[in-house]
Amino acid sequence: MNQAKAFTVFDKILPHSIKASIDLVSTGRSYKQLRIILFTAMICIATGPLLMVGGLGYHYYSDLLLNSEQEQLEWKLGGKIKSIEQMIESLMSVVQFAARSDRYTELISANNLEHLLVRLQRQYGFFADLGVIDQTGKQQAYFGPYKLQGADYSKEEWFTEAFERGVYISRVYTGYRETPHFAIAVSNLDPITRKVWVLRATIDAASLQQFINTIKTNASDDLFLVDDAGTLQTASQYYGTTLSKYPSTVQVGIRHNLSEKGENISEAVGHIANTPWSLVVLKKKYIHHEDWKNFQTRLFTIISACILVGVLVVYSLVKMLTGLIKRTDEIQIAMLKEAEHTDKLASIGRLAAGVGHEINNPLAIISQKAGLIEDLLLLSPEFEHKEVMQNNLEGIAKSVDRCKAITHRLLGFARRTEIHTEQIQLNELISEVLQFLENAMLYNKIKVELQLQEDLPQAVSDRLQLQQVFLNVINNAIDAIGKDGLISIATHMVAGDIRVVIQDNGPGIDKTVLPHIFEPFYTTKEVGKGTGLGLSITYGLIKKLGGDITVRSQLGIGTAFTITIPLHGDINDRQSVKTD
Amino acid sequence: MTDNQSKQIKLLIADDELEFASTLVTRLELRNFQVTMVNTGQDTLLAVERDLPDLLLLDLKMPDLDGLEVLAQLREKHPDLKVIILTGHGSFEAGREGMELGACDYIMKPVDLNRLIEAVKLVCSDG
Repeated sequence: MNQAKAFTVFDKILPHSIKASIDLVSTGRSYKQLRIILFTAMICIATGPLLMVGGLGYHYYSDLLLNSEQEQLEWKLGGKIKSIEQMIESLMSVVQFAARSDRYTELISANNLEHLLVRLQRQYGFFADLGVIDQTGKQQAYFGPYKLQGADYSKEEWFTEAFERGVYISRVYTGYRETPHFAIAVSNLDPITRKVWVLRATIDAASLQQFINTIKTNASDDLFLVDDAGTLQTASQYYGTTLSKYPSTVQVGIRHNLSEKGENISEAVGHIANTPWSLVVLKKKYIHHEDWKNFQTRLFTIISACILVGVLVVYSLVKMLTGLIKRTDEIQIAMLKEAEHTDKLASIGRLAAGVGHEINNPLAIISQKAGLIEDLLLLSPEFEHKEVMQNNLEGIAKSVDRCKAITHRLLGFARRTEIHTEQIQLNELISEVLQFLENAMLYNKIKVELQLQEDLPQAVSDRLQLQQVFLNVINNAIDAIGKDGLISIATHMVAGDIRVVIQDNGPGIDKTVLPHIFEPFYTTKEVGKGTGLGLSITYGLIKKLGGDITVRSQLGIGTAFTITIPLHGDINDRQSVKTD
Repeated sequence: MTDNQSKQIKLLIADDELEFASTLVTRLELRNFQVTMVNTGQDTLLAVERDLPDLLLLDLKMPDLDGLEVLAQLREKHPDLKVIILTGHGSFEAGREGMELGACDYIMKPVDLNRLIEAVKLVCSDG
């Protein structure tokens, strides 16, 4: 009907239930769809940014904690590495001091090596043995628990390393000794023989372990040395004893792993200068574990609460909103229907007026002509057929009266009814109307029973129109009864309004007919017996006077019209029917 | 049928429906009224000037002048002239307007002659 052109993208994508205006023709909007769309849109708008901010906060805070934790771990690692390096440095100094370049001859002779070892052991108990190796790799002197005098080390890696670089620290190994140990070898040029010689000191790996144990604090869960080939140089809480295999490659830096038990593990690895070793620091869970847990709990609580509140608010808002739209639609539909009804009445009014006018004049002529013939017959002497003629003329007069009743009613319907209010005693008005109908009721043997409230207050309303209303309804009752029956009319006050109940014991109105009886031209009377306008006019009039008319009916028992008239009419002239 | 006792009432019928008006004239004459008939608004005004009737039966719809216009013009010169509106154009509105212009009654066609005579007598006896 009034489908608007699509001006924007929204007009194209929005469903009917949102953009359509309501009218009488279309099937009406789907409120369920409307509710779902509104709800979804509002929830998205309400919770989308919340979730985004929450997600960002979560991400950045977790990053922040991770960074701070890495820094702490790095800082710790650096500190530990420094202490180890110092320890190694001091060890090397001791060995270097012992292997002063000019002592080669001194050390290989007599018990001098033994004295040196004894002196060293007195200071540092972990020195296991000492050996002096000449340029060819042959051990010239040895003192220690093993018989290694004369052993040839020329092919050994440590020897070549020490020979070339001056100082060498070996990995931890078992070797001949079968207990883990490592060696520090220092090479020197003997000034007398002009040959390079090497002093090698073997140190018990337990000493390394001891040192690691002393620098291990609560801040870390595991701390151990590993060589570049991935062999543990000291015992690890996680990976086993010394010389066990470290499961991952040794790579300097910080890594985050999940342990076999599913624990979150941070692993920091740093190389120790001048050694084949790297230090590994393991931290089982985040250092800021508690902070993180608190943050998570708080974030989730706040976001869940916000979403819950959002959903509740949006739900109630949407419910209210759709309810409002539904009510507005209903009101609009009612108004449209009423306007349509008024339009119908107006066109019927125009039609009725036209028909009424056109028929009235010829009817008047027929009436007068018949009257004249009657007059003339009265003046004439008796003749054959005179009485028959008179009877027929009477028939014509009656038919004219019937036609007159119809045309007058049509014109009554067409009447432009401006309202002239005055004080009206309804009981009197009803009696007046009944006088009009006295003859018809007498003729049809219909009795009237009145139950009028005596102290009924006066109503401010339009006398002529109320007369028309009661005339129509009572006429209708008479027509419904036909012959032999009872019409009871009761007046009383109900909630500040006057209520008139007009009840007949006619055949009643069928349920299928009942909703239509106030529609124009709807009639159940035989063709030619009714215009189908009476009740429609009545309905229009009573609404205009601010009142109401309702009908109840039961087949075989009768029909009751209840007319409510306000004491001070809220006159509604919106429907006045213009016919002039 | 004739009423010789009362003074003969002089009626003027203004109606463009010739058949209706002439029949009404005959019937009223039978009842001892003195009746003249005109069929247009202008003729009505002239007839009133020529011979002032006791009462004018005025139709509302005539070809040249509307009944209400005739009534309005007559009111200026003959404020006491009694007028009954007799019309088939039963507009409540027009009826009220006519009454406001001084018409004594408003009767809708078709009308029972006795009812009309009653109304005429009532209006004339009023003064």
